[in-house]
Amino acid sequence: MASDTIAAVATPRGQGAIGVVKVSGPLAQQVAKSITGQDLQPRQAHYLDLHGQDGDTIDQGIAIYFNRPDSYTGEDVLELQAHGNGFVLDQLLDTVIAEGARLARPGEFTERAFLNNKMDLAQAEAVADLIESNSREAARAAVESLRGEFSRGVAVIRDQLIDARVYIEAALDFSEEEIDFLADSELADRLTALNKSIDSLLSRATEGRLMRDGITVVIVGAPNVGKSSLLNSLTGEDSAIVTDVPGTTRDLLREIIVIDGLPVHIVDTAGLRETHDKVEQEGIRRARQQIESADHILAVREAGQGIDKDLLQGLPIDIAVTWVFNKTDLHEPPIANPDSLVSEIYLSAKTGHGIDQLRSHLKQVAGFTSTPEGAFMARRRHIDALQAVRQLGLSANEHVTGTGAGELAAEDLRMAQDQLNLITGEFGSDDLLGEIFGRFCIGK
Amino acid sequence: MNKDNFYDVIVVGGGHAGTEAALASSRIGASTLLLTHNIETIGQMSCNPAIGGIGKGHLVKEIDALGGVMAIAADAAGIHIRTLNRRKGPAVRATRAQADRQLYRAAIRQAVENQPNLRIFQQGVDDLIMEGDRCCGVVTESGLQFRSHTVVLTVGTFLGGKIHIGDVQQSGGRAGDAPSIALADRLRDMPFRVARLKTGTPPRIDNRTIDYRELEEQPGDTPRPVFSYLGSTADHPQQTVCHITHTNEKTHEIIRSNLNRSAMYSGNIEGVGPRYCPSIEDKVVRFADRNSHQIFIEPEGLNTHEVYPNGISTSLPFEVQIDYVHSIKGFENAHITRAGYAIEYDFFDPRDLKPSLETRFVNNLYFAGQINGTTGYEEAAAQGLIAGMNAARQVQDQDPWTPRRDEAYIGVLIDDLITRGTLEPYRMFTSRAEYRLMLREDNADLRLTERGYQLGLVAEPRWVRFSKKCEQIDSTRDELSSWFVKADSDAAKAIASRFEVPVQKDQTALELLRRPELSCEGLHELFPKNITCSDPAVLEQVEIQVRYQGYIDRQLNEVEKQRRNTDTLIPPSLNYQEVSGLSSEVKQKLIEQRPATVGQAARIPGVTPAAVSLILVSLKKQEMTRAAHAG
Ligand SMILES: Nc1nc2c(ncn2[C@@H]2O[C@H](COP(=O)(O)OP(=O)(O)OP(=O)(O)O)[C@@H](O)[C@H]2O)c(=O)[nH]1
Ligand SMILES: [Mg+2]
Repeated sequence: MASDTIAAVATPRGQGAIGVVKVSGPLAQQVAKSITGQDLQPRQAHYLDLHGQDGDTIDQGIAIYFNRPDSYTGEDVLELQAHGNGFVLDQLLDTVIAEGARLARPGEFTERAFLNNKMDLAQAEAVADLIESNSREAARAAVESLRGEFSRGVAVIRDQLIDARVYIEAALDFSEEEIDFLADSELADRLTALNKSIDSLLSRATEGRLMRDGITVVIVGAPNVGKSSLLNSLTGEDSAIVTDVPGTTRDLLREIIVIDGLPVHIVDTAGLRETHDKVEQEGIRRARQQIESADHILAVREAGQGIDKDLLQGLPIDIAVTWVFNKTDLHEPPIANPDSLVSEIYLSAKTGHGIDQLRSHLKQVAGFTSTPEGAFMARRRHIDALQAVRQLGLSANEHVTGTGAGELAAEDLRMAQDQLNLITGEFGSDDLLGEIFGRFCIGK
Repeated sequence: MNKDNFYDVIVVGGGHAGTEAALASSRIGASTLLLTHNIETIGQMSCNPAIGGIGKGHLVKEIDALGGVMAIAADAAGIHIRTLNRRKGPAVRATRAQADRQLYRAAIRQAVENQPNLRIFQQGVDDLIMEGDRCCGVVTESGLQFRSHTVVLTVGTFLGGKIHIGDVQQSGGRAGDAPSIALADRLRDMPFRVARLKTGTPPRIDNRTIDYRELEEQPGDTPRPVFSYLGSTADHPQQTVCHITHTNEKTHEIIRSNLNRSAMYSGNIEGVGPRYCPSIEDKVVRFADRNSHQIFIEPEGLNTHEVYPNGISTSLPFEVQIDYVHSIKGFENAHITRAGYAIEYDFFDPRDLKPSLETRFVNNLYFAGQINGTTGYEEAAAQGLIAGMNAARQVQDQDPWTPRRDEAYIGVLIDDLITRGTLEPYRMFTSRAEYRLMLREDNADLRLTERGYQLGLVAEPRWVRFSKKCEQIDSTRDELSSWFVKADSDAAKAIASRFEVPVQKDQTALELLRRPELSCEGLHELFPKNITCSDPAVLEQVEIQVRYQGYIDRQLNEVEKQRRNTDTLIPPSLNYQEVSGLSSEVKQKLIEQRPATVGQAARIPGVTPAAVSLILVSLKKQEMTRAAHAG
């Protein structure tokens, strides 16, 4: 029987009127009590208020508690059914995690059910398949989430954390080497800087922001390929000026479309080209700036043209690009190559042909895939990890500035590293020693 | 020698691994033979004359807690003893001693000679006697055969040793000892993976030719720390001081202009040296911005004039060694008694070992010590103890035992070796232990002695003393938790003035003790009637436990979460090819390393949590299939 408690939103995000948060493990009963304020009768549906961490009501819904072994996983299980609104479900999940549960790994509920004799031998393969495919999906989504600004922020935090650890651990393991950094005020400064970076990344990337602000998709391309027409076609409104004069669009134009409850910001930009027109130059500068902070790029070309190598060169490598080939009413689209590694969509902004395909593509980009392990979940995991890093970083700083207990600060930072490793991949004690030996001359 | 030359356990090698192995095996009742090429070198410290240090001191205390001899010998030989990291917290506090080589050797020799069930015989070993895939004895260099149930090999640096002094090379083990070429060749024929490592030593210097007047002096600590839980300062010999000097620009210049003559830089050495113990050539090249490096002048003993200048190991030619030594303050007229040298040697990839330290390819054969790629006396002794004990347990038909990572540095050491292997001589550091806060020097006995007693490693006197300590810890905690200190009582005032902290609310003394300003010893001094025990070790233990409770609970919680993985054994029969969903890369790693438990599998680099899930599912499937067949 597993000793930790896991939790997840069990219904696909943004779909359906009802959403379910599932909790399994030894803390399930305690979680039930704190969210519902009642001792629930096992196996009975209770309609009641569901409370958040601060005691406020998040939603009204149904709570069912199953005691082990008579549950899906064979452990104590709590099921919370609330409105299918992503905001509500996230708050519920937050509350459950604050009570000591952790986010379930993909397929983990089923895994537990199988390991606890809740399934028969014939289902073993299916369980393995589920774990494998969901993990693969999660890994892909994690890579997706680790792009652009977020990825750069995480890399900075990782370097700062390793830096601080190098100093503390060197002081602990090599005290005779004339490198006692614990007494040094520089160490406290490093920790303060680390915590600052985490705060700033978190404030820019919290899941609340993702729900509220959605993702940003920027339309770029040469003049006159039909970028503004595409914006209009996606929004179904005549928001952007469209003319056959190259260089029509000068300023950024933002519109929001909502896909399954998640807002997608679409930004139309000035066509990229060499120009002497001051206004247009400024527009192009703004376009480039906007690209940097995009979650996704739509690079527009006319059908009949190939991929624009120059344009591609100018795009940040860590932001995903979809190539949109426009004006298929004028140019015959080529036969689709199913093996292509590049995302390509052929459409006509004028006739609307192919726009639906772009919409469903954007839906995927936004993280709404059929499994619960989309980009949204990946970002959520990342943010959870960063929040844990933040707590530990603060505590480490207190130890360093307060009692000077190096080993406690080191312990906090080691755990912070474990959390960060969930995002960035393994950085173990041997890697750390390598950093120490690389920087300081150790060895008598 | 017994009549038919038959023993339960044969231990080959009389170094730190060999002696602990032989002692452990015979302590738990197995008839044991210790074979060494030279009885005079039993317990020899072949590198620097020191025991303990950060991480290593922890190992020494654990060996002691399990009834080993190292700490007792270190107390008998310690001529300069300190506690390192005293102010950085109890978990990283560590005992270190300069040891008199002769006294150390004598203490080990005495322990070995007086150990019941243990015989010693002087003869090098050339070959193993095999019966199928089982090792059942050894053949010595003169052709004598000794048979046994199990064999522990602890032949350390002598395997395929090659010494470099500048561009001169010679075959050899530690300077002065013949290398065991025949045995090295024999082992190379077996399926073990072999690689080469390197280590260096500094030139040794005659004490009388050093000018100490200008050098910084480093005294031992007062009060003087003690290594063994059974020991006291009364066990210590006369104490001495150490000195510190530094290299300078001139030294570095000499080294730089002779770099091409160093064995390390001329490409003559293929072995990998330790990153934490670079030669002076390495230091000068890699840290070019530093114009000075520290040298600890370590005395070799009370009755010798030789000293060990720690920090300037080298493989430069002898005449360059003379030059750079003379450029160092205090060494202007120093006489070098032995040249420094680099030595290369074979080691066997420890990933070919089971947690018991039995080899995977040859049954009943155990490896311990430097042969497994470790460096250091303490690392060797720790493995020796475990290998010797498990070799004996195998004879007695009992399951092997190895401490877990959360129980002991010994567990960290062995787990690191068998799951990750090593690329450089492996040395213990506290940062290798994820449960560092629990693995302290002060509680090694609390972690291990009871287990050691059950295993038969710990003798009655140690057990009695340990049990008394445990009782005192419990009763002191009871006294503290049942003593209620009222905010404005006289006791509160006394505490406030002694420790300079206000006592603002009513609370138990146990709660009060959480404050870093208080000390348990201080409370005892103020209120000997309330806190009756006066043993500083007991008072310290209670204080640490109380103060670290939160952190230790957190680590225990971590341990508990890992427990299921740690405890789930992977049967050797598991066919990873048939575990559905595993990537071929992960399969490859698992097939190569054959982890003994799911916990070990999880620690192999590249094995993801999803892969661990798939292994668990597969194991469950096997279990269900078996149950279906049985039912
Ligand atoms: N036939 C056809 N014409 C299109 C299509 N999409 C856009 N156009 C035309 O192409 C011209 C340029 O369209 P815009 O949407 O203004 O192009 P743009 O890329 O925004 O241009 P700039 O803002 O100048 O960079 C207009 O005359 C559009 O009517 C399409 O799918 N088919
Ligand atoms: Mg436009």
